[in-house]
Amino acid sequence: MPDALRIGNCSGFYGDRISAMREMLEGGPLDVLSGDYLAELTMLILGRDQLKDASLGYARTFVRQLEDCLGLALEAGVRIVSNAGGLSPAGLAARVVEVAAGLGLSPSVAYVDGDDVRALGWDGALTANAYLGGFGIAAALRSGADVVVTGRVTDASLVVGPAVAHFGWEPTAYDALAGAVVAGHVLECGSQATGGNFSGFLSMARTAQPLGFPLAEVHADGSSVITKHDGTGGVVSVDTVTAQLMYEVQSTCYLGPDVTTHLDSIQLSDDGPDRVRISGVRGSKPPVQLKVGVNELGGYRNSVELVLTGLDVEEKAAWARAQLEPRLTASSVTWTLGALPPVDADSEEGASTLLRCTVQDPSPDPVGRAFSNAAVELALASYPGFTMTAPGNGTPYGVYRAEYVDRSAVSHTVHHADGRTEVVS
Amino acid sequence: MRAPLGTFVHARSGDKGGDANLGLWVAHDGHPSYDARVRWLLDLVTSDFVRTLLPEAKDLDVGVFALPNLGGVNVVLRGLLGRGVAASTRFDPQAKGLGEWARSRFVEIPEELL
Repeated sequence: MPDALRIGNCSGFYGDRISAMREMLEGGPLDVLSGDYLAELTMLILGRDQLKDASLGYARTFVRQLEDCLGLALEAGVRIVSNAGGLSPAGLAARVVEVAAGLGLSPSVAYVDGDDVRALGWDGALTANAYLGGFGIAAALRSGADVVVTGRVTDASLVVGPAVAHFGWEPTAYDALAGAVVAGHVLECGSQATGGNFSGFLSMARTAQPLGFPLAEVHADGSSVITKHDGTGGVVSVDTVTAQLMYEVQSTCYLGPDVTTHLDSIQLSDDGPDRVRISGVRGSKPPVQLKVGVNELGGYRNSVELVLTGLDVEEKAAWARAQLEPRLTASSVTWTLGALPPVDADSEEGASTLLRCTVQDPSPDPVGRAFSNAAVELALASYPGFTMTAPGNGTPYGVYRAEYVDRSAVSHTVHHADGRTEVVS
Repeated sequence: MRAPLGTFVHARSGDKGGDANLGLWVAHDGHPSYDARVRWLLDLVTSDFVRTLLPEAKDLDVGVFALPNLGGVNVVLRGLLGRGVAASTRFDPQAKGLGEWARSRFVEIPEELL
């Protein structure tokens, strides 16, 4: 149908295939190219980046991708919408303008923020971000932005926003919004919609050809067709789309900032090769409060793996454990032993298993050198055949929790390219 | 007969904070018994079934949400990942392989569905 809005995806996480933006722009026609760079854990990583350097806090790979592809996108009239701003959408927008200028380009760059609610004082929080909806992105696009970068919007908002901008949906157009949320939820994990991480992989061609990234043809009523560019790897089928819809949902009602999506209303149907139609989606009023993802630094951890080979594996494990345990001062110590090797194995690896020790502590010292040295010192002084994986330094870890906040406490704000700001309710 | 759950059931799994999230649904493989398979799967998958299928969840609160329109169920294993991906000491802290483990487990499947 000619009135469809074609929204592609070129990233499912911070670290996804760097060439995907170019592949999506060159592979076929699009109106909008979206990219998701944020996961619960990513916010923590960006939070730590920002502690080291206040100008950071965004997904740097996105800048590299734009450096390569911005000219291509502008030429093709494809608008870029991404949550790569992370903890610093303003910083990323400024960097994009700078990079564009270096390329002799002058795109209209807008950013959306207000999600960062650290100032509300969450106990122990390194990061605290409200999950925003798509109406800020929509306002930015309607004002002519070529590139929109955001902080923590919901992954689906990267599709909802462009659809709202294009079709002019009101905030109460719940069915249409819910349809776009479903399309967005399918796209947000990149090639997981096109045969990646798919338990039906035996039914697919399994070659070196990279899996294509997905795109959605979204219609005015919120229904859509999920597909991918011709000639790309992988497959789009009812099963690959179901895979995306059946996990990470936690209920039959999918709560979002713009709409509550009734997952039990979704209808999927085959619409030709590599095309799946999504229809019938019903939506209703969103929850009164917004969800907030809070990350705190939980402490530090480290682990070591001891290789156990041949006879008497359980006794070897028990002795190593007895030797190491008194040396460990970390507050949490976890031991796991891999599957026991088969008797009379015909390879050394086949005759071996791993004993893993993981330690955690609120402070770095008990899991750092004190821990790894204690393991290393057993090298010539423990069970026969002692060998281990290279012990590293302790690394910090985070703890994620969901909190909720009143909408009135959050200023969902669009910063247009011309310097105007607009607060979205 | 006893056969792996994954004989005709697909899965995808992942993390949400400290909870593991598991989707199970009947493959669209052209088999004539698709509707009967879906009814069987929806009847089969209860909280107790999941705790038996995946003994590591035996003490956990397990939520099961039927989505007959998608031919399957969404399962939430609360607390399987401890305090969340970054803090977990689990072998697979993001539960990426949980679905494939579930598919590899043997269950009693009626002959007529095979």
